Amino acid sequence: MLKVNNIEVLYHEVILALKGVSLDVPSQGIVALLGANGAGKSTTLKAISGLLKHENGRVTEGSIEFLGERIDRSSAEEIARLGIIQVIEGRRVFPHLTIEQNLKVGGHLRKNGGDISAGLEMVYQYFPRLKDRRGVAAGFASGGEQQMLVIGRALMARPKLLLLDEPSMGLAPLLIKEIFEIVTQLNRQERIPILLVEQNAKLALSVAQYAYVLETGRVVMDGESAKLRENPDIRDFYLGLTDLGTRKSFRSIKHYKRRKRWVS
Amino acid sequence: MRLLLELVLSGIMVGSIYALVALGWTVIYKCSGVLNLAMGELTLIGAYVCLTYYQWGFPFPVALVATLITGFILGLVTERLFLRRMIGEPILSIIMITAGLSFFFRAVVGFVWGTDTVVFTPPVFPQEPLRFFGMVFGQVYLWSFAAAILLLLVFVWFFARSRWGLAMQATADDETAALSLGVSAKWVYALAWAIAFMAAGVGGTLLGNINGLNISVGYLGLLVLPAVVLGGLNSVPGAIVGGIAIGVLQNLSDVYIGPLTQGGVKEIAPFVFMIGVLLIRPYGLWGWVRIERV
Ligand SMILES: Nc1ncnc2c1ncn2[C@@H]1O[C@H](COP(=O)(O)OP(=O)(O)OP(=O)(O)O)[C@@H](O)[C@H]1O
Ligand SMILES: [Mg+2]
Repeated sequence: MLKVNNIEVLYHEVILALKGVSLDVPSQGIVALLGANGAGKSTTLKAISGLLKHENGRVTEGSIEFLGERIDRSSAEEIARLGIIQVIEGRRVFPHLTIEQNLKVGGHLRKNGGDISAGLEMVYQYFPRLKDRRGVAAGFASGGEQQMLVIGRALMARPKLLLLDEPSMGLAPLLIKEIFEIVTQLNRQERIPILLVEQNAKLALSVAQYAYVLETGRVVMDGESAKLRENPDIRDFYLGLTDLGTRKSFRSIKHYKRRKRWVS
Repeated sequence: MRLLLELVLSGIMVGSIYALVALGWTVIYKCSGVLNLAMGELTLIGAYVCLTYYQWGFPFPVALVATLITGFILGLVTERLFLRRMIGEPILSIIMITAGLSFFFRAVVGFVWGTDTVVFTPPVFPQEPLRFFGMVFGQVYLWSFAAAILLLLVFVWFFARSRWGLAMQATADDETAALSLGVSAKWVYALAWAIAFMAAGVGGTLLGNINGLNISVGYLGLLVLPAVVLGGLNSVPGAIVGGIAIGVLQNLSDVYIGPLTQGGVKEIAPFVFMIGVLLIRPYGLWGWVRIERV
């Protein structure tokens, strides 16, 4: 459904953020994109959704295809119209609008009123808490509610492909579990394919069928989630004691381990 | 006491016209962060356009609606011709463009309509004043008030309920997030200019009915700036309340402080008041105190 072919991304014409990233998202299921801080996960999503252009970034090499159509030159608005909706990292609600108004803006591309109320109905079914709080200014909603809101808002846009950037960031474990359960349900029941960016690899591998690991702008590994979970390097670095935030590079670990194997 | 009440009420009526112009400032600032220095000229153009329709023989209400439509189109065109290519450029450069627009529009008005004071003839509203409880109000004030309030209500409804109104508010809150949902920022800016043109045009028309119309109606743009700042620059209700407050303040200062001076108090009072309020509330009365929570 979505094919990213060996793209290179430059910010401000000088900062090379992606150095050849390729990935495939099939028309169902969840694909995870893992990697440490600054690896280029969000940049990859922004390249797909076209938001990159508004941050003075550009896809300089390679191509992106969605449903057979090339989209790396299209504007963010055109790409959203095609049905690729990105949930930006950091719970970017419209703080001065109420929760329900936020959702209505999500339905901006649905032009008629009946459609919007059907959409609201659907979102409230998945996130009953939003319904209870619909009149509250989104800026005053709790972190969990805001995360639900930005996902619900994206649903209002009737995505054909949902790009989710770090939905677990800064939330309590129970809430994260709840949100991931809903995300899985959305994927199954509404048949929305999802490209999920996460630092929490354990969580991501538990819901995704396939995953890519990104490091300093390159895909360094990819495979079925089940396989990746068994991979010793991933176990050590992503699932083990070491957290993703650490500055140690995945590759240096690999080298280090190889050396160790040789020595012993 | 009766004088005070009369001053307050007529202040509210004139203030509602200021509120329209203030709304023009606010909507452009809110959506694009630009202080539109050509606001006064938008007022002027709207007033002359309406006058022209009226002279062509349209009944006044029709002329007013035609002015709204013309304002809408002029707003879209102005944005497309002069501001579209500036999207993403530094705000200060865009503000300089609006300063240039201000001179340009003023010249166009002088060229097309001349510089003499003109009045709506025959007068639009009946001349004989109405009396309530011993207070006297010109009918032109009452009708202007009704028209201004009606239009303000329509705008408030538009921002809170309609698809594009919400899209505009969303863009003001977080442009990137709005873009990610397929909201076209270009249309949002264009609509902001269209709405500013419409609101200011009607404001100018109503004021032109009260005082006659010449190039100095354009100063209305700057005069309501305190109203806008008072309201907090990006708050639509704030602009409305600010506009009305300035109207009342002008009336009161004119009558109670004016006689003690050589004149000019009416013009200065709003600015003095604005500075006073800003010292206490830097965000204005309704401005966004950033909502922040983690
Ligand atoms: N707007 C920008 N302008 C310039 N450089 C940027 C910009 N956004 C990101 N970068 C750079 O691109 C690289 C990748 O950033 P990106 O945000 O994609 O990382 P990430 O994997 O999403 O990290 P995180 O987990 O912290 O969100 C970083 O080195 C970052 O400094
Ligand atoms: Mg990121």
